[in-house]
Amino acid sequence: MFKNPFDHRNRLSRSCACGQHASQGEHEAALRAQSAEIATNTEATYENLVAETVLRQMFPVDAHRRAFLNKLGASTAAAAISSFFPLATATEVFAQASALEKKDLKVGFIPITCATPIIMAAPLGFYVKHGLNVEVNKAAGWAVIRDKTINKEYDAAHMLSPMPLAITMGVGANAIPYTMPAVENINGQAITLAMKHKDKRDPKQWKGFKLAVPFDYSMHNYLLRYYLAENGIDPDTDVQIRAVPPPEMVANLRADNIDGFLAPDPVNQRAVYDGVGFIHLLSKQIWDRHPCCGFAASQEFVKQNPNTYAALLKSIIDATAYASKAENRKEIAEAISPANYLNQPVTVVEQVLTGTFADGLGNVVKAADRIDFDPFPYESFAIWILSQMKRWGQIKGDVDYQKIAKQVYLATDTTKLMKEVGLTPPTTTTKTFSVMGKTFDPSKPEDYISSFAIKRT
Amino acid sequence: MSSNLTLRAGVLSFVLFALFIAAWHIATRQIGAVANMDPEYAKLMGLTATTGKSAMPGPFDVAAKIWEHLKNPFYDRGPNDKGLGIQLAYSVGRVMLGYFIAVCVAIPTGFVIGMSPLMNKALNPFIQLMKPISPLAWMPLALYTIKDSAVSAIFVIFICSLWPMLINTAFGVASVRKEWLNVARTLEVRPLRKAFTVILPAAAPTILTGMRISIGIAWLVIVAAEMLVGGTGIGYFVWNEWNNLSIVNVIISILVIGLVGMLLDQALARVARFVTYPD
Amino acid sequence: MPQYMNEDRFISIEGIARRYPKAGGGETTIFDDLWFSMNRGEFSAIIGHSGCGKTTVLNILAGLELPDEGVAVVDGRAIEGPSLDRAVIFQSHALLPWRTVLGNVAFAVSSRWPDWSADKVRDQAMACIEKVGLKGSELKKPAELSGGMKQRVGIARALSIEPKILLMDEPFSALDALTRGTLQDEVRRICLETGQTAFMITHDVDEAIYLADKIVLMTNGPGAMVAEIVDNPLPRNRGRIDLHKQPDYYALRNHLIDFLVTRSRSFKDEIPETYSKRHPPIVRPTASTSSATDSTLSAA
Repeated sequence: MFKNPFDHRNRLSRSCACGQHASQGEHEAALRAQSAEIATNTEATYENLVAETVLRQMFPVDAHRRAFLNKLGASTAAAAISSFFPLATATEVFAQASALEKKDLKVGFIPITCATPIIMAAPLGFYVKHGLNVEVNKAAGWAVIRDKTINKEYDAAHMLSPMPLAITMGVGANAIPYTMPAVENINGQAITLAMKHKDKRDPKQWKGFKLAVPFDYSMHNYLLRYYLAENGIDPDTDVQIRAVPPPEMVANLRADNIDGFLAPDPVNQRAVYDGVGFIHLLSKQIWDRHPCCGFAASQEFVKQNPNTYAALLKSIIDATAYASKAENRKEIAEAISPANYLNQPVTVVEQVLTGTFADGLGNVVKAADRIDFDPFPYESFAIWILSQMKRWGQIKGDVDYQKIAKQVYLATDTTKLMKEVGLTPPTTTTKTFSVMGKTFDPSKPEDYISSFAIKRT
Repeated sequence: MSSNLTLRAGVLSFVLFALFIAAWHIATRQIGAVANMDPEYAKLMGLTATTGKSAMPGPFDVAAKIWEHLKNPFYDRGPNDKGLGIQLAYSVGRVMLGYFIAVCVAIPTGFVIGMSPLMNKALNPFIQLMKPISPLAWMPLALYTIKDSAVSAIFVIFICSLWPMLINTAFGVASVRKEWLNVARTLEVRPLRKAFTVILPAAAPTILTGMRISIGIAWLVIVAAEMLVGGTGIGYFVWNEWNNLSIVNVIISILVIGLVGMLLDQALARVARFVTYPD
Repeated sequence: MPQYMNEDRFISIEGIARRYPKAGGGETTIFDDLWFSMNRGEFSAIIGHSGCGKTTVLNILAGLELPDEGVAVVDGRAIEGPSLDRAVIFQSHALLPWRTVLGNVAFAVSSRWPDWSADKVRDQAMACIEKVGLKGSELKKPAELSGGMKQRVGIARALSIEPKILLMDEPFSALDALTRGTLQDEVRRICLETGQTAFMITHDVDEAIYLADKIVLMTNGPGAMVAEIVDNPLPRNRGRIDLHKQPDYYALRNHLIDFLVTRSRSFKDEIPETYSKRHPPIVRPTASTSSATDSTLSAA
């Protein structure tokens, strides 16, 4: 495909943009051919291309270059150059970057700390490291992020972990096969109540409350319902649960429209910061290390752009690993607080990420694992979510839990890519866990559902 | 006499403004009891909670922030954080585009409807049905069918600013005085020439009124649409600042939205004065 | 043969009828089987009470309305629609308010002669504006003009297209007496100078006497008829100031007023045996004929 630049008979014409082709038209034809062939490209092609570039930088005049090659012979010339220029490394870098089907990407996010890995990967350079030019776009709400992702305005997006399951099954939207190859954060949510309820710490006193969650298909909804039901409160009849976009939650709490919410941060901490509410309970107290938000893309995007997808996922996994280290949290808080990202005071974001926070009742609480980051999308997470969707009547009839979980939560891919970026993935793709002391067996979701007293099936 | 009136009105306006600012300032002064707080805890809390500062910003907070925006209206700190000037340009651009398309559709269609009693009767139910639909009700449908949020926003501007212009054009055209039409008839004026030399100038004031109503609606709609779609524009700016509970910026946005809306309306009012004829 | 059959019948209204649907169903006949004619260069006026269909007759002549039955013939051709040959001066001026005086007149001129250059159109328009005495006001908008000046523009516009017939729908009724008089003089002067054929609707007996050569009397509607056609006995060179000094003036005036006051209503009930809709009687009231009805020169 490319002429050997070490062949002195070859003239490096400068008649086109890259100087390689007789005319611009030929140059473009070559570019098209190049992209078509990219999948089967050999390392040698890249080596020639890189070497040629280096050579031209050294000898801008064609005649000089030919004289140089004549004198030394092609292979000696290559060896001579590589002695002072790391041809092998350059080739590798070039091959990696070129193999990407698409380099300029748009990734959508909702301004909450759950999106930390997706957001921070931009200012802290994780996307660039994997050869991507990613623009992270703030979206106004979950329905918008869903529609913009379905409409391909976003290549991939931050979603609530139940959303890709719901989209795949066509619940609340047209069925489109979706994948969620990475969980972004675990824990990191909280139940916040209005200050006037500071003496009602027992959920049994909450009858008649109006509570908000960010979306119907959210861990927040399922966790809140679970928590209420375990405390004997029927979430459908004893209280009102509303979907309210996170940015509106504090304003609504201040206006006394709602009594509290189970919300993502920084909403909880912001309510405390403004003296509007107090943190009743961290979500880790319901289910420690529960997944919350995920990184999602359509199956179509994954299939059409396997290399880009891998690079994107590697960036996220990398960023997630970085975010999981406590010592990096302050730096991250500063990187994601500005108006371009979360648009929150740094103090608020810092309290969420470091786990040293004011609870709104005058105490400084230290909970290092208030939020943590672990990319691994256990299939059992998906099964638990599906079980709750069924428990609360969002899906009906028979559900093939294992199949949907495998199709959407790409645990196998994540395992492979985690290894590639030097992390140690878990050895299994499912794990058992317990929610409020009750063990969940992912192999028997139906039994699990029927074991609850309050349910809609 | 009239200059005296203008002067007195100006003084009164200024006094009212000063009173408003003073009342605002007094209402938002630092108030409320400051709870005794552990200093370490206080560090983690916002000013509202620690100093009892009103959650509502005072006029001087707003003025300072306005100055900050005016100093640097065109900054670009990434896809989600751009200067107020850039956001306004996006919004005005969208409004202009959607509105222009609406003008191109509404005026010829209004002409046809106004000229033909049959079309008028046949289309009237649809127009009456479509007219009161809220812009936000169109948004999900637009997003779903058009599959592009930028185009959807423009579509919503288009569809919402269409009706007042359509109705007014049809009405203006239908109510051109019979005698003017008779003049044209007795002079054997060809239909196209009649449309441009008699009907259009006769209906122009009514059409312009519709256009003024429409530009007002378009400007209302863009803010709502951008809040929903996000990305860029003054509506997104409001949403983003609300997200941060930055009431100062929300107030500034309100001022700016009002100001631009007024300018758009005044621009059309000027055009209207140009085509209005005394009767 | 009736007298008028021998003359140059320039305009001929032949058995026209006009009916409107009634609100509760059925039809109202404004008039039917209406006949009369006008000669070239003649000034005709039509007098009758409101609702007798005068305006409808004028609209039919203008081509703005079509008769339900019968035909109106001008210069040997049936009227099928409006024509630049027939100019209308509207009661309400009907000036285009967004155009200047010159613009209004030029609009008519350029409609008449679409191929003319802008200069030529302007010259023609200015000539007509001068003719009606509005020179110096040509750049004013109609709203800046008095009622009389507006109607002058209307006249200039009608004259500018050099029509075969000038149709006037109570052109001076909205004006004060002084202005009306002046304008009547102007119109009479222009018509005499150019030999313009004209047809005018009026309520004003004196106006008819001063301007018209022939006055068509219509009975009350619905079902209006042409009661008779009055041949003006006054000399052609009559002036407005000394009109009442003309020997035949009072005879004519009394005849007309008598018609408007009583006969327009009662005519239907006491139709003379000799009356024919097709050939309405022609009368010429003069001082020598003490009573109008005696002087009928009916063609029976």
